[in-house]
Amino acid sequence: MNNLRLLLPEAILATLGLVVLLADLFVPVKKARVLYHLAWLSAAGVLLWTALTLGDPSAHGVGSLWSVDPFSQFFKVTTLLTCVLCLLLGLDYKELPEKHAGTFSALMLFSTAGLMYLVSSTNLLMIFVALEVVSISSFILTGFERQNHKSNEGAMKYFLFGAFSSAILVFGISLYYGAAGTVQLAAASAAPGPMLILALVLILLGFAFKASIAPMHFWVPDAYEGAPTPVTTFLSVAPKLATFAALARVFGSIFPLEAYDLTLLFSIMAALTMTIGNFTAMFQTDAKRLLAYSSVAQAGYLLIGLAAGSPLGREGVMLYSFVYVAMNVGAFAVIQAVGSAKGSYDLSAFDGLSKHRLGLALSLMFCLLSLAGIPPLAGFMGKLIIFSSAVQAGHWWLAIVGVVNSVVSVYYYFAIAHRMFFREPADEKAIPVGAYVCGGVALAVVGVLLFGLYPEPLLAGVRASTKILP
Amino acid sequence: MNMLTVVTFAPLLGALIILCLPKEKVKAIQTVAFIFAGISMIASLAMLPGFDRGTPDMQFIERYAWIPSFGVQYFMGVDGLSFPLVLLTTFMCVIGLIASLGIENRVKEYFFWFLVLEVGMIGVFCALDLILFYVFWELTLVPMYFLIGVWGGPRKEFAAIKFFLYTLTGSVFMLLAILALYFAGTAPHTFDMLELAKMTGGWSKNFQILVFLGLYFGMAIKIPAFPFHTWLPLAHVEAPTPISVILAAVLLKMGVYGLLRICLSLTPVGFQWFLPALVVIAVINIVYGALCAMAQTDMKKMVAYSSVNHMGYCLLGIAGMTTAGFTGAVFQMLSHGIITGALFLLVGVIYDRAHTRDISAFGGLAVKLPVFAGLMSLTAFASLGLPGLAGFIGEFLCFLGAFQTWKLAAAISVLGIIATAAFFLRMLQKVFLGKLNEKWADLPDMTTRELVSVVPLAILTVLFGVYPKWPLDLMNKTIEHMLGK
Repeated sequence: MNNLRLLLPEAILATLGLVVLLADLFVPVKKARVLYHLAWLSAAGVLLWTALTLGDPSAHGVGSLWSVDPFSQFFKVTTLLTCVLCLLLGLDYKELPEKHAGTFSALMLFSTAGLMYLVSSTNLLMIFVALEVVSISSFILTGFERQNHKSNEGAMKYFLFGAFSSAILVFGISLYYGAAGTVQLAAASAAPGPMLILALVLILLGFAFKASIAPMHFWVPDAYEGAPTPVTTFLSVAPKLATFAALARVFGSIFPLEAYDLTLLFSIMAALTMTIGNFTAMFQTDAKRLLAYSSVAQAGYLLIGLAAGSPLGREGVMLYSFVYVAMNVGAFAVIQAVGSAKGSYDLSAFDGLSKHRLGLALSLMFCLLSLAGIPPLAGFMGKLIIFSSAVQAGHWWLAIVGVVNSVVSVYYYFAIAHRMFFREPADEKAIPVGAYVCGGVALAVVGVLLFGLYPEPLLAGVRASTKILP
Repeated sequence: MNMLTVVTFAPLLGALIILCLPKEKVKAIQTVAFIFAGISMIASLAMLPGFDRGTPDMQFIERYAWIPSFGVQYFMGVDGLSFPLVLLTTFMCVIGLIASLGIENRVKEYFFWFLVLEVGMIGVFCALDLILFYVFWELTLVPMYFLIGVWGGPRKEFAAIKFFLYTLTGSVFMLLAILALYFAGTAPHTFDMLELAKMTGGWSKNFQILVFLGLYFGMAIKIPAFPFHTWLPLAHVEAPTPISVILAAVLLKMGVYGLLRICLSLTPVGFQWFLPALVVIAVINIVYGALCAMAQTDMKKMVAYSSVNHMGYCLLGIAGMTTAGFTGAVFQMLSHGIITGALFLLVGVIYDRAHTRDISAFGGLAVKLPVFAGLMSLTAFASLGLPGLAGFIGEFLCFLGAFQTWKLAAAISVLGIIATAAFFLRMLQKVFLGKLNEKWADLPDMTTRELVSVVPLAILTVLFGVYPKWPLDLMNKTIEHMLGK
């Protein structure tokens, strides 16, 4: 075990998760909220630590099954950031039973720790174990509202589909072992043959499940709709982005795409994911389902950057990932506030929101505009870099599919904006907004505006962290 | 003093202040809007003495690094092509604000979006970096969506989303073309229009054609050039009066401006290749636009289609590739902005009183509304190209320029002028002449506010018609330079 110290942040986070779980035994139910605070503070502490050592060479290195490099550090930051924000959202989410606060927040921390392992893994078995840690905690989190049928249904579908795709992934890994004689990524020197190609495709499909890439996206709408909103937020951001990091590591740096000519496969999956996501989202009437399909489409945009296979493409993926945290968490936070107050996530709950809560309506609109890639918001800058990587690599058709999809997405994002600003409110019910949701939304909107108007620091930071150690 | 930044971003400051004001304070909101749109106009006028008419170079240049990692700059500047349009924009926005004083519903949001829209429009004409240009270009979409969708007519919501999706479809292809240009340039890559214009020699014909088509798609929708004009009548008719004014006076000009500024300078070979098609499109715009206008019974829709027709003159002038044609096109942009702006205001005046815009619903109004009738006749005559008024100069120069290269096309297009004259005269006859329709016997004539918004436009119409030298002087050097003379 070389360089075990490199994984100290993850280990500490996992330990803190255990501490939260233990503390659950001793904290009275009435004061259970303190566990949330404990959890988010732990995550925030590790976040601070990781962020501060982002560019520190002494924190980087190669271990036996892992390597910690600027690239993985960057994705650890996005994961931890999402975790902190989602735990804050959880504080204002009333549907979660107080007595399970410890379990809930501990599971969030475990899931996050799993994702942190995932982005550093250089060994397929370690990747599998990390993915399972994430998946199992996510299954439980999705079904956390035990009295809610939708929550149970979502968790069940998620679990069945997850088990199926884990099997595919393991099968791929075993084929890979057969072809290459090792599960270590860097040692891959096997000649490309049918077996290796099949192995790679199966591994890719296993990843596609986690990142909600078509054709493995079928669990997404049900799981997202059923899961408690903070969990939906988490699922739609953190595992997706971390899986993209793992994808970039496995297929981008270790096997160059062109060596096995998976570029076309990546491009087709990207086009399919965007198109399916966007065209299905158009017909949704539930805000969470709509955003679920939108997050499928977003995965498609990210995949364009990987399909380009260039340094610019990787920068695009990283930049977009970071921005995606802000815009998606922001959008879900507003949806949570409205949905909780109205008791329904139907789109009609948003009718006339601007009359009662102009700030909330504007925040959601900014996030949606950013998701649609309208300048001068941050999402535009991310898409700009991603599309330019496709143009640079000569994938013209992919870039065209991408921009046309962006136009399609405006249609359904604006269906929400339309309801918020053009319709009259159905009732005079007040929409209370908790302090933590408010803070989360404010942070997200500031991020969306700031990185849209002045993306230079972020872009420079991304450019400095593209390095992947083998 | 960074004048262009002041001109462009003064309205944004106003918009932010309005956002902080309570929505009940209507007067304060209106005052703030006027102050900041006024600052923008005065600042742009203050640039006039310093503007050197003797050089085709960019002036009032401001250049700062914006996203150096990606080669994007904050690069602003104006020349004889863009400066008149900046003046037009700041001026028409103040006119639009005067007309907006009648808005009573959700005033705060209205003025907020109006000022944001102004930022986008001015920025488009000043930006010399392609990404900056694109950002400003897109910045006009969201405000327009809300301005049409909230304060518009019966089918406002459909009109708003149609406008948004239609324009966005065009602009995303423009974005791809911009990215293609970026990577085609020599390293270090840049989005600087002036730098890229110097590299065009090294680009193959096929590349230039493809890039041109991408850019043209975005511009053509905005112009709107046939067959991408279908969003315009709907958006114009449904938009509230001041927004129709802005849409006609400024937003359509963004397309023609982009055609001259970006397509021509960055893909000259593609532009040349496309010229025969451009002529055909221009002729269709002129003749078809005029015939469509003739078929309308709704005055606003008629004026909207007349815009399609007038933009056709611009395209015809450009297709001529002569000094006269280009001058005509730019002059036509200015005169169309002023004249059609006034026409929309006047249609709004009658609609506010009668709540109908049906041409045949009126009759003999000249007796009851002499001032209104006079102004309407003046602008209608200007729009149909009566010599002595601004519209004539632009149209004449466009035909003159095009005739040297495309004789047949120019000849056919003259038919469009006849049709234009026909529908405007028919409108004047049905609305103002004949027997007074007793239903409108007690319509009041124009109010002071309406006069304040229309009369300056009428004065400019006459002024530019009898003394066009002043605006022409502004643009001459640049246009000669654009044609490589």
